[in-house]
Amino acid sequence: MFRIFRTNLQVQTLRRGVATSSIQTNPQLPSHSYGHLPTSQSPITSTLHFFNSVMPDGKQIPTYRVLNGDGQVLDGAELPEIDEALARKMYEQMVQLPIIDNLLYNVQRQGKISFYMTAHGEEATLIGSAAALNNSDEVLGQYREMGVLLWRGFGYDSVMAQCFGNYEDTSSKGKQMPVHFGSRKYHFHPISSPLATQIPQAAGVGYAIKRDPLRRGKNCAVVYFGEGAASEGDFHAGMLLASTVPSPTLFIARNNGFAISTPASEQYHGDGIAARGPGYGIDTVRVDGNDVLAVLSAVREARRRCLEQGRAVLVEAMTYRVGHHSTSDDSFAYRPRQEVEDRKRIDNPIARYKKFLESRGWWNESEEEELKDRIKKEVMKAFRRGENLRRPELKEMFSDVYGGEEPWNLKEQREELKALLKKYGGDWEPWKKELKKFKGEGKEFIE
Amino acid sequence: MFNPHKLARLSPSRLSSLNGQCIRRLQSTVPSSGEAEPPPAGGHLPSIATSAFLRPTRDSALRLPGLRWIDNEIPGSISSSKEGAGDIAGRETRKMNMYQAVRDAMSIALMKDDTAVIFGEDVAFGGVFRCTMGLAEEFGRERVFNTPLTEQGIAGFGIGLASMGQTAIAEIQFADYIFPAFDQIVNEAAKHRFRSGGQFGVGSLTIRCPTMSVGHGGLYHSQSPEGFFMGAAGLKVVIPRSPIQAKGLLLASIRDPNPVIFMEPKILYRSSVEQVPIDDYELPLGKAETLIKGSDLTVLTWGTPIYHCESAIHMLSSPPSSLAHHIPASLRSAKIELIDLRTILPWDVETITESVKRTGRLVIVHEASRTAGVGAEISAEIQKRCFLKLNAPVRRVTGWDTPVPMQYEKFYIPDSLRILDAIVDTLQY
Ligand SMILES: Cc1ncc(C[n+]2csc(CCOP(=O)(O)OP(=O)(O)O)c2C)c(N)n1
Ligand SMILES: [Mg+2]
Repeated sequence: MFRIFRTNLQVQTLRRGVATSSIQTNPQLPSHSYGHLPTSQSPITSTLHFFNSVMPDGKQIPTYRVLNGDGQVLDGAELPEIDEALARKMYEQMVQLPIIDNLLYNVQRQGKISFYMTAHGEEATLIGSAAALNNSDEVLGQYREMGVLLWRGFGYDSVMAQCFGNYEDTSSKGKQMPVHFGSRKYHFHPISSPLATQIPQAAGVGYAIKRDPLRRGKNCAVVYFGEGAASEGDFHAGMLLASTVPSPTLFIARNNGFAISTPASEQYHGDGIAARGPGYGIDTVRVDGNDVLAVLSAVREARRRCLEQGRAVLVEAMTYRVGHHSTSDDSFAYRPRQEVEDRKRIDNPIARYKKFLESRGWWNESEEEELKDRIKKEVMKAFRRGENLRRPELKEMFSDVYGGEEPWNLKEQREELKALLKKYGGDWEPWKKELKKFKGEGKEFIE
Repeated sequence: MFNPHKLARLSPSRLSSLNGQCIRRLQSTVPSSGEAEPPPAGGHLPSIATSAFLRPTRDSALRLPGLRWIDNEIPGSISSSKEGAGDIAGRETRKMNMYQAVRDAMSIALMKDDTAVIFGEDVAFGGVFRCTMGLAEEFGRERVFNTPLTEQGIAGFGIGLASMGQTAIAEIQFADYIFPAFDQIVNEAAKHRFRSGGQFGVGSLTIRCPTMSVGHGGLYHSQSPEGFFMGAAGLKVVIPRSPIQAKGLLLASIRDPNPVIFMEPKILYRSSVEQVPIDDYELPLGKAETLIKGSDLTVLTWGTPIYHCESAIHMLSSPPSSLAHHIPASLRSAKIELIDLRTILPWDVETITESVKRTGRLVIVHEASRTAGVGAEISAEIQKRCFLKLNAPVRRVTGWDTPVPMQYEKFYIPDSLRILDAIVDTLQY
């Protein structure tokens, strides 16, 4: 049966090529201009063959690397275009991250801020990608991407203002938790805690860029997310839209091995996030996320393709979350301390890159101390300033819910709170104490 | 009445085996490292440590109204505070906070029901709020397991399990992150029985999630989304106020023939502590509990604000000197009734109506925004049923109609003073 069937097919479509109009007496598979199947160009095979890999022979997707552990260029690797000034800037930007992280992590422990998340171990992924982008590319982050904002010039004062939620916090006027940055000026969309929501949004941002004659072909949308967030439906929605509609959207997966306590091995059964790219028909690369030069090269090329094709491109950066998930987490409850110590020792992305710089004569030990001293001083200065500024005015609580005319319910509720504060603000100790934390101490409400 | 000497008369071997049991269970609830959870949430509620609603002794814990023992040996045996000491003789309690009580309930569910499984993000290592501590070790990874990070997947997976008659206990890490699962919950779980003409159903699905504010969570760690589920006929929504309540209500939710969203006020995980009966027991769903009897005004709430209401009622009768001039002397002897709604859907209309008909006044307190919050639904129904008995409009004390603003939370979430003010206002109407 099957043989005959196949022979018919071959005769009909392979030998004769196009469909004939000759009247068939036996039922035949319809032939079609796409090939043998109604909506696909899939070649027909007589071999029953299952597959389970995007690489031939079931091999894992390789990881692109430029520098070995000693900061030496791998045989056959091509250095990205980089001059001394850029190379040094990247290093300085990497070095600053753990300095800020250590300070704010400890400050949270002292109760001065309510929450914090470090990026220990992911410095090369963040700075390498930031350096590869155009500073006006639209970034949609997850929450560990402060480094990208700093690269663009956000500044320590703005970081502190957001983390302290003081009146200089332009990210959200004190409304969001720490590390939920956002900046129109720096093309950094506001962080939202619900995971993966930014991913389909990025596809829309990319499309908007494409429709803007001033930005078309010059910018793209860039979306960062963890390998954990990539399990959400929103990840698939975003990949699907940006590949199909399509829209120039660059997907950067930070695969740091953990989503809180859940190891990547329990997050997916396939070959990481990169394996999914070809499923959406998009160019994909996996890169050593601890090798800043590899990240720089890979993201530059990914961005180039993204702009050229006007379509999604996926980069999976392989790294390791050295720190705890957040200040609410103690990771030694689910991973051995030794594993973390080993990781830190074997592959510190900053140390690896430093060796490269030194081998070029672009960096030396005395500069190292100077740099760290300078950053520490600047960070501490910003910290002291941020710590001592009050919260925004209390009335800001009701702002930015709607644009245009404010609905009656909000107007009335503001009046309701005003009346309460007038009545009790001077008498009720918990409110008295709390009001002092706000700029103007709530006077705009009370008077 | 409970006779303390009766326990002493138990043979020493029986006692030690009981203790042995509880020590073993306790050990697996002790955190291995002590701090794999969010920080103590910016301070515990000032009133909770001293709340009269928490039952700090074995005797008071065992005399909980509505408590129904589920003993395999004596099926259907019912014990209540009205019954004699015989019913509580030999019953043990253990000091637990709310996360330990939740864990205890799930441990019983796993022990007694071989089909029961627990799953969700990070549950295998104990969960970010420690509610599944040690359960994976005790019952195996086939029954207590991590899922990939997908709430819609978790809910859908649970629906599938439950539709096959197995017991699914799913955890959504925060109530704020239940929205990706909204379609599965509202369109699927709630309607499963209805759309199959009663052939199918997912009654053995329970979705647990931490809810409400801790004081500094902002937009996405402070929400109270119970109201969003209120229109989903077919679902039940339950919110406990304490460890004893959490255990009894959770066991009832797991065994209820309907899918239940079980929301645990996260500030109470550690700050509420009670002596919790170690045996299997249930508390009824769909039943509110009157915590304070009164005749002049009814305060209705659930979850965390229970304790703010308790303080407010206390302040009404004995105001601190700084507030005394705000509280007319004539109101201080007012008798305020306080009701814990406990089940939000379907809510106990009978208890609330009966109460408001007696008191003529109702103040509803919830953390969620006012517009279309649970209070709106209850107000409409109560105003219809009690119209001629009402002496004042139903008053709602709620979060404002904005997202939860982190730095402003103390002026956003109803506190005892705002509740007190609403009580005074409503009494004077
Ligand atoms: C929708 C949603 N579900 C759950 C959470 C809770 N949560 C916050 S971070 C996190 C883990 C994310 O891991 P990953 O995406 O790998 O990022 P990483 O923290 O490793 O950078 C979880 C589960 C959330 N914020 N949003
Ligand atoms: Mg991760």
